[in-house]
Amino acid sequence: MYAAATSVALVGGEARPVRVEAHVGRQSEAFKLSGLPDTAVREAKDRVRAAVASAGIRFPNRTVTVNLAPADLPKGGTDYDLPIALGILAASKEIPPLRDAVVVGELALDGAVRAGSHAFGAGVLSARQNVPCLVATAVVGEAASIPGATAYGVASLADAVDLLRGGLGTVEPARPGAPMSEERASDLADIRGQPIARRALEVAAAGGHHLLMHGPPGSGKTMLARRIIGILPPLAIADAVETAMLWSAAGRRRGLVVTPPFRAPHHTASKAALVGGGSGNPVPGEVSLAHRGVLFLDELAEFPRSHLDTLRQPLEEGVVSVARRGSSLDFPASFQLLAATNPCPCGYFGDGRRPCECRQAILGRYRSRISGPLVDRFDLIVRVGRVEATEYSGPKGEASASVAHRVEQARAAQLERGQINRCLEADDGRESKAARRLVAMAVGNAVLTARGGDRVRRVARTIADLEGADQVEEHHVAEAVGLRGEWRDE
Amino acid sequence: MNDLRVIAPNGPDYPVGLHDLEDPPRLYVLGVTTAAPAVAVVGTRKCTRYGLNLAEAFGHALSRAGWTTVSGLARGIDAAAHRGTLQSQGRAVAILGSGVDVVYPAENTDLYRSILREGGAIMSEYPPGTRPDRWRFPARNRIIAGISSAVVVVEAGVKGGALITARLAAEMGRPVLVVPGDVDRSASVGCNLLIRDGAHPVLGVDDLLAELELILGKPPNQTPVLTGIIPSTGLAMDDLPSIWGCTPAEALARLARMEIAGEARCVGDVVLPGSG
Repeated sequence: MYAAATSVALVGGEARPVRVEAHVGRQSEAFKLSGLPDTAVREAKDRVRAAVASAGIRFPNRTVTVNLAPADLPKGGTDYDLPIALGILAASKEIPPLRDAVVVGELALDGAVRAGSHAFGAGVLSARQNVPCLVATAVVGEAASIPGATAYGVASLADAVDLLRGGLGTVEPARPGAPMSEERASDLADIRGQPIARRALEVAAAGGHHLLMHGPPGSGKTMLARRIIGILPPLAIADAVETAMLWSAAGRRRGLVVTPPFRAPHHTASKAALVGGGSGNPVPGEVSLAHRGVLFLDELAEFPRSHLDTLRQPLEEGVVSVARRGSSLDFPASFQLLAATNPCPCGYFGDGRRPCECRQAILGRYRSRISGPLVDRFDLIVRVGRVEATEYSGPKGEASASVAHRVEQARAAQLERGQINRCLEADDGRESKAARRLVAMAVGNAVLTARGGDRVRRVARTIADLEGADQVEEHHVAEAVGLRGEWRDE
Repeated sequence: MNDLRVIAPNGPDYPVGLHDLEDPPRLYVLGVTTAAPAVAVVGTRKCTRYGLNLAEAFGHALSRAGWTTVSGLARGIDAAAHRGTLQSQGRAVAILGSGVDVVYPAENTDLYRSILREGGAIMSEYPPGTRPDRWRFPARNRIIAGISSAVVVVEAGVKGGALITARLAAEMGRPVLVVPGDVDRSASVGCNLLIRDGAHPVLGVDDLLAELELILGKPPNQTPVLTGIIPSTGLAMDDLPSIWGCTPAEALARLARMEIAGEARCVGDVVLPGSG
C-alpha cells in the first residue's frame, strides 16, 4: 500500500522536485513523518487528518508513514499538506495513483486548499518536466502563466479528489493569469524643484544605474528614491516569476507582479536579513527580494561597514552566496542600488548656506563609513540640494507617467543590444570622436578617475538612449560627467 | 584692430558725466563709447583674497544687471572688477593713467585685450605712448569718478587712489558705496573711514544692486543674461537650469564642460568658478 506524489522545494530560489512518499501499513493507527521536515511540515499531520475528515473521506486507521525525499533537501512551509493528503489517499486506494503531477497547497481544517508560497515553483516544475500541476484555485493563474506549464486549480481537498478520480485529461487546464501591477502610490509630480536630482533619477531608471544621492536632511532624497518604481519599466514575465520564486523561498507571496520590487531595509537590519541566511534552510535576504528591482539603502552611512561590504559580491556578480552547513548556496541578487545619505552627521557639510557643525574627527569617521570601493559602484552620484521655501509652492514637477515613457523607450533600445547599460563592460564603438575626446580630457584633467571614465561612458550611453540617439555624442558624455559628482572631494 | 579716436569735450560722443569736472579733458579712446550709465568699482592694489572675490562678484553682478562698469586696469581690485564684468560678457571701461596703447601693469595685457574684444573701451586723457608715471594716476581717478554714475569702493587703504576717487565722486554728487571691513585690516581702513564720513555701506551683491536701483533707477536696458559664467560667490547647482534657461540635462553638460576646462568646480551643491 504505497503511493507517491511530487511536490516542490525552493533551493536558492530554484524549484527542485520533492518526492512525497506515503505508505499505509498494517499495524495499529499511527502517523509518522520523516525527511527533514520543519515545524510547519510536521504540523501537516494534524491538518491533513482534519481536512481528510472534513472532505468526507475515511482516514486510514493504520500506520501511515510519509517520507519527503530527498532527505537532505530542507523542506519548510505548509505547501506539502495537499501532496501529503493526496499521497495517503492514493496509498489507501481512495484515489488513482498520482503519477507525475506536481502538487502544492496548504490545507485548512475544513478541507479548503489555501494558496501557499510555492505555486510558481509548481508551475516551473510542471513546465520543465512536462507534467501537470495542482495548486490552489486562488493562485492557479500564477502557475499557469509560466510558459509550458499545465496547471489545475483546486478549491478544496474534495475538489482535488474529484479531479483525480475523473482523470486530469478530461478537464481543461487553467489559463495564464493576468500580470498585476502595484499601484503607483506616489508620483514624481509631487516633487517640486530638484531639477538635477530628478534628471539623475530618470537616467538611473533608464540604464538601471546605481545612484547615490547625498544632501542635507529634508531635501527629499527618500521621496525621490521611492518614486523610481513609478518610472521603471515593468518586469518581463520571466523576471517577475524569478522574483516571485525568491519571495516564495523567503516565505512571502508576491504573485505575478510585474512592478519591479522595491526593498528598503533599515540600517539596523542584520546581515542575514540583508544578504540572506538563517539557521536551517537558508532564506533569501533583502538583496534577493530586490532581485530585478531596486534596493534602497536610506542613511547609507548608518549601515555598519561590514554589512555594506557584503553587498560587493551581489553588486559585481548578481548573485549572493549564503553559507550553509559546509557548503554555500547561491541566491540571485541582481538589483539596482539606490542609496541616500546625509553628507555628515549634522547634515550640512557642503551646504552653501549653512555651516557644518561637525567636528573634523567625527566628520572623517562618518564619511569613511562609505568605502571607496562601494562609492565606485555608483554610476551616478548627485547632490540633492535644499529646497527653498519658495519652491514648495512652485509648479508641480513632471508626472511619473511621462518620465516612464522616456525610460521605457531607452530600455527598449538597450534590450535590443542585449543588456542594460549598467552591465555594459566596454564601449560598443558607437561613440563619436568628440565624445571620446571629452572622456579623455576629463580623465586627463583629473575631473574623473580612469574607472570613473568607464562609468561615464555607460551613463552617456543611457543618456543617448533617452534621446533616441544611436551614437554617443559629446553632449551625452558631458552630461554624464555632470551626473557623476564626487563624494570625497567636498 | 581698434581705431584710436580723440573725443573733445564738445564732441557728440563725449561722456556727459565728465562735464561735471572743472577741467573736462580731451579723451583718447579705443573701443566703443556709449551713453549707457556706468558704475565704477575701485579699490587698492594691496587687496585681500576676499576683496578680489568680492570685486569680481560685483563686476559680474553689475554687468548682468545692465550696468557698464568702470575701473582703472590696475592690479588687484581694479583688475578683478574688470574680470568679473568680462565673465558675464558685460561692457567694461578702463581709464588709464598712461597712453591707451601702453598697458600697465603688463600682467593685465590679456584683460586689456578682452575688454576691447567684448565691446568695452579703453580711455585716457594722455596721448598714445605716454608712460605710466605715478603722478598721473590721481588725475586719472577724477575721470573714473566723473564718468561714473556711482562709485563702489571694495577695499581701500588709508592713502591711495581709491580713496581719492571716492572723495572726488562725492564732491561731484555721485553716490559712493563702500564695503565695510575689519577695523584692523589695512586694506579696509580707508573703506571704514568713508563709511564714517557718510558713504553707504554695501552688505553684499544684492544689497549693492538694490541700493543702486534705489538711487539711480533701473539700468536702461538689461543686457541679456549670459550663460556659462559662474560668479565667485557661486551658484546653487539646482538653480543652473533656470539661470541658464536650459534643461537640467543641458545644464549638467555645460557644467561638466566648464569643469573639464577648469572654469568651474563644485563644492557641495555650490558651483564656483574654477582655478580660484
